[in-house]
Amino acid sequence: MWKNYLKVSFRNLKKRKLYTGINLLGLTIALVSFFSITLYIHHEWSYDRMYTDADRIYKINQEFVSGGEMQLVGTTPASLVPTLIGEFPEVETGTLVFDLSIFSSVLVDAGQGNQEESRFAFVDENFYEVFDFEILAGQKGALLNEPNQLVLTESTAKRYFGSVQNAEGKSLKIDGSDYLITGVMEDFPSNSHLDFDFLASFKTHRHGKNPEWSPSNYYSYAKLRKDADLSQFEAKLPQMVEKYLGEEQREYGFQTSFQTQPVTQIHLGDQTLSTVKPGTDIKYLYIFGVVAILLLAIGIINYVNLATAEATERNKEVGLRKVMGADRGQLFGQFVSESMLLTFGAAVLSLFTIYLLAPQFVKLGEVPLNLALLFSFEGLLILAGMVVVVGILSGLYPSIFLSGLEPIKALGNKVKIGGGAWVRKSLVVFQFFVSMGLLICTFVVKSQLDFMQEVNLGYQKEQIVALPYHYNMRNSIGTVKQEMLRTGAAESIALASDMPIHVKASYSIFPGGDNQKEFMITGYSVDNDLVNTIGLEILAGENFTETDISRSYANDSTLQLPIILNESALQRLGWSPEEAIGKRVDFGGGLANVKGVVKNFHFNSLHHQISPMVIFIDPDQANVLLVKMPAGNPAVHLASLEASWKSLVPDRPFNYKFVDQEYAQMYRSEQRVGEIFGLFSGIAIFIAGMGLFGLVSYVALRRTREISIRKVLGATQGDVISVLSSDFFKLLAISAVLAVSFGIWFSSSWLSAFANKASIGIWPYLYAVLIVLLLALITIGYRSWKVFSLNPSKTLKSD
Amino acid sequence: MIQLKAIDKYIESRFQRIFILKGIDLTINEGEFITLMGPSGAGKSTLLNILGLLDEDYAGEYFFGEKRIKTMKDKERSNLHKSEFGYIFQAYHLIDELTVYENIETPLLYRNVSSSERKSIIANLLDRFNMVAKKDLFPAQLSGGQQQLVGIARAIAGRPKVLLADEPTGNLHSAQAKEIMEIFQELHTEGTTIIQATHARENADFGTRLINLVDGRIKTDEAITK
Repeated sequence: MWKNYLKVSFRNLKKRKLYTGINLLGLTIALVSFFSITLYIHHEWSYDRMYTDADRIYKINQEFVSGGEMQLVGTTPASLVPTLIGEFPEVETGTLVFDLSIFSSVLVDAGQGNQEESRFAFVDENFYEVFDFEILAGQKGALLNEPNQLVLTESTAKRYFGSVQNAEGKSLKIDGSDYLITGVMEDFPSNSHLDFDFLASFKTHRHGKNPEWSPSNYYSYAKLRKDADLSQFEAKLPQMVEKYLGEEQREYGFQTSFQTQPVTQIHLGDQTLSTVKPGTDIKYLYIFGVVAILLLAIGIINYVNLATAEATERNKEVGLRKVMGADRGQLFGQFVSESMLLTFGAAVLSLFTIYLLAPQFVKLGEVPLNLALLFSFEGLLILAGMVVVVGILSGLYPSIFLSGLEPIKALGNKVKIGGGAWVRKSLVVFQFFVSMGLLICTFVVKSQLDFMQEVNLGYQKEQIVALPYHYNMRNSIGTVKQEMLRTGAAESIALASDMPIHVKASYSIFPGGDNQKEFMITGYSVDNDLVNTIGLEILAGENFTETDISRSYANDSTLQLPIILNESALQRLGWSPEEAIGKRVDFGGGLANVKGVVKNFHFNSLHHQISPMVIFIDPDQANVLLVKMPAGNPAVHLASLEASWKSLVPDRPFNYKFVDQEYAQMYRSEQRVGEIFGLFSGIAIFIAGMGLFGLVSYVALRRTREISIRKVLGATQGDVISVLSSDFFKLLAISAVLAVSFGIWFSSSWLSAFANKASIGIWPYLYAVLIVLLLALITIGYRSWKVFSLNPSKTLKSD
Repeated sequence: MIQLKAIDKYIESRFQRIFILKGIDLTINEGEFITLMGPSGAGKSTLLNILGLLDEDYAGEYFFGEKRIKTMKDKERSNLHKSEFGYIFQAYHLIDELTVYENIETPLLYRNVSSSERKSIIANLLDRFNMVAKKDLFPAQLSGGQQQLVGIARAIAGRPKVLLADEPTGNLHSAQAKEIMEIFQELHTEGTTIIQATHARENADFGTRLINLVDGRIKTDEAITK
């Protein structure tokens, strides 16, 4: 019986090439989208689940309350892990990770000169007890127990020594000290929140030798015993804080508490917490998941619509089979097996497509697609399940419809597919609602991205490169600056703690006076050239001068550090720009004197409002050299800068970053969302468009006779188009109304994450609706033209 | 075997009932070869459809043996239809996507006949109608007479007691029509009850009883003597 079903199905599909092609293509594209999104979501979900004891490993985060402000941070003091291991019976072991890239990069010398490396971390000796990564060389348990020991990842070992075996026992000079390579580990998997090239023993570091309760620069992880009770463990943490930090807290008026976070929730958890690798906002996984299901639904709907419309051609067959004794169940089986066959074909095609397109997907999603997962036994089992479910979903309605035909009427060709038309109509509405909706989302995201690129940040980011600056360069920096200015490759050069796109350091400020309180403020340590280099606008007072630099504030407490405040700081302090000049404040533990006021500029992501900021002189804290290049070809200027650098700072590599590119990079995840929306709305429109084409084709076919009669009676082509299109345009209008309402909701909720947002006019909505309408019109127009151009004498003869 | 009592079939229109069949009383015994004649619109096809359980929308009583059709469950009726009736159409109505072999096989599939039994039944039929060489051809590749042979083979594959034929020779020329009628006669002598509707008087001579239908009523009902 099944053999017969399949044979008939296969011949039917072969006979109706247009119909089969549209369905196959639609389902394939839908399945490819669905599978690739699923793999992406699975990858994000699988983060940090590969450790043997992942279910009882916790990261410890720290909460500060100071001056009425609460701050949750991902870093903790060095003493935390030893204390947890020593004093808490619940803790089986724990480890500390110090990601050095927060502060600086390192210079690695394997005998061929310095290379700058940034994926470097110090970890303590328990690291592999908690995170059981595979050790490829060296003895587990004796890897990072002593100072100056180093573990490389596999690819780093190959990069420096050619092979894993060659690396073991060798040594590397890092920032001038020798490290012995005691082992090589596998590369950190793409779905681990830890990601380094070098792991050095924390005992090398001074806080590793003598752990203290300050500063809080370290990631701490605790692995609890199997039988341990998490809430009991958490309940005891405040006692520990009291024991070690109690006195200090009362003296300085702050409170600290520690909180646990399951290791598996780091990647998708609170995105404001610092961690080694930027996480993913789980909101986007939900959005992509919904998009995946919507695309699949559109593909299925295509099938349902076309198969039902096609029923007019199948009714004779159905009638005959009934006369020959087929009952409803048997006919149902036949039509479902047909949709199953088609779905199976689409699934096979989609596997091929995914396999071929995997590299493109990786580029888009920025995560490797684990194809092995898809081609594994479980993957194929799930795939088979999908084929059955999609096959049944798409075959269900047409099968019920077809198997329910009455045999005599079916044989007599008296069937009109008017019955159940509302089902097909609502499906069409749904398809175009999704297409337009996704398109609106794309345009909204695009508007915001454009806005972020074009908004006036309050400083100049174009033609500025950032070069890495290290404290060691302080004696030669004057000469470097002079040389770069002399060659004409730089207009102005400033030292700064960060690029202006994202200033992170936080300080306390106390303005004095009775009704003022201490509060936290962003501090930007720079030299006297910053204001001119990035083009800040001074509203009152004046810029720093060279003499401000030469004084040493740290050693002479009678001197007052000159500072510049931004408008937000003034607002907080309640001063006007003119009032502020000359005011004295307590800043970061020393006296400071307000020398100037600058206009607000965006020194943080546009997700946030501009907060209060202090700009102060302290070139020793600088990490970057901001070089403003004159107009002209940047490549030429860069070459000149590099030449100057090589001759004056030969021991440090020349690594440059364009500030405007780094700025764009900050919005990478939003940009990615935009790209993905763009891609999938394109796909949705394509599939829905094909479905519309198929549907219009069948309607046109069914009405060929009517149209021919109209033509004979003198109808023009326009009349024919309007006859064929009027029904569809009513449906499109309903879709448009739904899509616009959805779009309004989406734009208000998505944009709410931005403190600085683009104003979305009616254009995204209008464009989306017009584009889809235009495509529909072209589709319908083309079909109408084909029918219209038929010769009525032929089409009318057959009856 | 079959008993119809006061069968009415009508279409309800706004002002009146239009009767397609009116007051049909008919008893059919096993082994009869009945010819229904009458002009177009006399109700021949409608009567065949009612007899074949394809049309349930009528007034009056229909007994098949002891069974009263009206009170049967859907499932029983469909089983009765499957086991007792074979159909032959004027336009052959073969399934275009299936080969000759597969067309004949289809009713057997719906009757859950085992694979080996199907093979032997179809082999016998192909042999009987001299179609062995054509078993893998599709209907479009056959002449009208050949298609109707396949139609007959398909109708009798399930060994029905009653064969219903609606204008079986209507689309054929006379030589082919004669061949078909001879096959009917053969089936009749083997014991199959046959009811055919036709316009052609000469076809009635192959049968045992002639019923004339006019405007939905039985006008004459006579035995044919040879």
